[in-house]
Amino acid sequence: MRSSTSNFKRKLRLPRLFFAKPSEIVHRDYERPIPQLPWRGITVVVVLSVIAATFSWEFYCRSIGYGPTLNDNEDLWTTTRRRVKPESVVIVGDSRAWFDLDLDELQKGLGKRPVQLAMGGSCAYPVLADLANDENFHGTIICSVVPRLFVAPPGTPPMERAEKAVRRSHTQTLAQRASQYLAMPLEEHVAFLKQEELTLDELLKRLPIPNRPGALVPPRLPPYFGTLDRERRARMIEECARPGKLQSTIQQIWLPLFTPPPPPTYIPKDEFAKEMGKAIEQRFHDVAAVVQKLRARGGKIVFVRLPHSGGLKALEDRETPRTGIWDRLIKDTGAAGIYYEEHTELAGFTCPEWSHLSAGDSVEFSKRLVPHLRKALRL
Amino acid sequence: MLFNSLTFVVFFALVVSAYWSIRSWKARKNLLVVASYIFYGAWNPPFAALLFSTTAMDFWLGSRIARAKGRHSRRGWLVASVCMNLSMLGFFKYGNFLLQNFQWLLARIGIVYQPPHLDILLPVGISFYTFHSLSYTLDIYRGVLQPTKSLRDFVLAVSFFPQLVAGPIVRAGDFLPQLVTAPGLRLGQFLWGLLLMTLGLFEKIVLADTMLSGSADRIFDYAGPLVALDSWLGVMAFAGQIFFDFAGYSICAIGAALCLGFHLKDNFRFPYAAVGFSDFWRRWHISLSTFLRDYLYIPLGGNQVRPVRAAINLVIVMFLGGLWHGAAWTFVVWGLLHGSYLVIERVIRVLFENKAWANNLATRVLAGVATYTAVCIAWVFFRASDFTVASRMLRGMFGGHAQGDAILTTREMLQIGIVTAFMILVHWSLRESNIETAVTRLPRWAVTAAWALMASAIVLTQGNSNAFIYFQF
Repeated sequence: MRSSTSNFKRKLRLPRLFFAKPSEIVHRDYERPIPQLPWRGITVVVVLSVIAATFSWEFYCRSIGYGPTLNDNEDLWTTTRRRVKPESVVIVGDSRAWFDLDLDELQKGLGKRPVQLAMGGSCAYPVLADLANDENFHGTIICSVVPRLFVAPPGTPPMERAEKAVRRSHTQTLAQRASQYLAMPLEEHVAFLKQEELTLDELLKRLPIPNRPGALVPPRLPPYFGTLDRERRARMIEECARPGKLQSTIQQIWLPLFTPPPPPTYIPKDEFAKEMGKAIEQRFHDVAAVVQKLRARGGKIVFVRLPHSGGLKALEDRETPRTGIWDRLIKDTGAAGIYYEEHTELAGFTCPEWSHLSAGDSVEFSKRLVPHLRKALRL
Repeated sequence: MLFNSLTFVVFFALVVSAYWSIRSWKARKNLLVVASYIFYGAWNPPFAALLFSTTAMDFWLGSRIARAKGRHSRRGWLVASVCMNLSMLGFFKYGNFLLQNFQWLLARIGIVYQPPHLDILLPVGISFYTFHSLSYTLDIYRGVLQPTKSLRDFVLAVSFFPQLVAGPIVRAGDFLPQLVTAPGLRLGQFLWGLLLMTLGLFEKIVLADTMLSGSADRIFDYAGPLVALDSWLGVMAFAGQIFFDFAGYSICAIGAALCLGFHLKDNFRFPYAAVGFSDFWRRWHISLSTFLRDYLYIPLGGNQVRPVRAAINLVIVMFLGGLWHGAAWTFVVWGLLHGSYLVIERVIRVLFENKAWANNLATRVLAGVATYTAVCIAWVFFRASDFTVASRMLRGMFGGHAQGDAILTTREMLQIGIVTAFMILVHWSLRESNIETAVTRLPRWAVTAAWALMASAIVLTQGNSNAFIYFQF
């Protein structure tokens, strides 16, 4: 007679879950078929073809003006972030800080070589917050402000770009770190390794195919016009510093890029404007809190508005006038601010493509900026 | 370490060179163990210790099962292994999910409970290596596998780097016999392995990431209503993306293993040419579906029970299959949908199996289209971050947003259309065949040109793309 426990198990059927005998014995001596082809010859032809195609592509890229440069990705940023010491001078913000601030001149003037943590097309806030949350850091921050980027709401590309880099700096694996160290020498010598422009994806985006009305076409980004080194210092290439097709193309790209996009169709305009207003208010509040936190540990911060020219300056002055975001930022944070137009020695520079200084001008500009920085930071 | 990274290129070149330079088979296996742990530890070193400890535990439990005299004793050791593996998986993968659902349940009966947020980092590939390891004790218990006496061999079987983090789920019983004798270096096999790696990377980097992922992301991330065309194209883009992503990884793994002299089974067999859902699951993620079939469905009774019970078993298996993919109810719904599809298919088969029209070409093509469509509908739940997104997508797909937005560019629509059409064409033309036969039939110049084109396209995309989707599982 079966026990009650056995009956219970039988009813429940649970024990059979893993314990049933298999229906068939698994085939153990599996061997994959290998196609019988002249593999040696095929491989030689493939290798030679790929080498030829790669060199041809490299020569073509160089012939149309591209040169080797590091890619500004989150791994390069992380490599630089790791250099921040407790008392470092750190540059944060957007691409204007990259191109306009010369690390050699700042080192001469401030006594320390700054760490360049600015990111092209990004919002400074996530990096400011990361530094403020770093209990070891009590150094100095030079923060470039482009108002539209600085108050970019969460979920927008400027915020996501900075957040992605900050996140990577906290989660970078050994493999990602190794890949970055392997990639840098290659990127320094190979022109087509420019991820923002010469990837297959970007090349496909350039195909002149007309779109349906309403299609969300991402704004075009400027083509290659600067090089980046291992310290993430950017220098404008000569071709862009000279008047010509590249310069005028970039100028015309900035205008739509800096023009506020229309609100999404699925949100009423008033509601969207209200949400944006709320997000901007929140940003002021968050930045003030971050600055306070930093100062409480003895850190210093100075906000800097860097030169911009031509049609882009007219657009920025109209859409984000100084009395709006800049003045409010300085008032709310109580931090020092340097607005280039207020100082004649800083105001006389012209940005060739309207947004950044040429390599030569950036050195002179940085030299002239140093006394203002020293004063603002009470050095 | 990702297959599509510079680190892996250097790592693989070093491992392969060293592996084939060493004469001693034991030393080669030691090298592979070290390489596999470096491969895994390069992501997060402490989790390599976790991997080793679960492996060592299963090695010991396997030997206990084999040595145990009585049935109860054998069963006890097996239960220990199952509990150890599943509790590890449960803690790391489902800890927060269970807490959140517990909180929700309490809230339903009016109890406010704020659970602590467990800051649990999911060890990459835990779902895969847990199943690699579990297959060992299960097969020893079932009497189809003798325990290995070498801990090193078992460690290698579980952690073999090509299949460690994203499958295929290689059963210890399929891998351990390959560790008995040293494979010889065969040039044809080695170069075919390299070609398969190129194909896998091409599928991942070029087809999944470059051609499809951007459109799929844009559609699923769009917060507004979308017209039917865009919604369907977004889902089709994801259907292609996940296939090329996962099948690409599996082919890379098979190729890398071949370069080292090991043979892994196919994990995909042209799934979008499936006629019916049982056919789909014989072609999609084969290593998981056969694992669930052999260790769950058949022990539950398989097809040898009453039809209603068999249907319930199917749904249970697919429910767990869904949950295996991720700790979210959207994955559960995906699994349940597939479970329901399988049940409906059985009913249809019973009703129409003997009809003459049931097996003609037109019916089969229609059934194939219906299978692909239903699979795409299920993908909505797999890809959507939550049910709000899923319901918005489904409403869009079935015409609920006639005045919705049309956001895809013509280029994106062309990319999705061309890649999907190409994919389905290849799947249908090879559905009764395999890649090896197809390559053998091709002229040499075509094989050479295809390989060169794929490699050049990988260089052109610069190899910089996203992590494999299945890493998160």
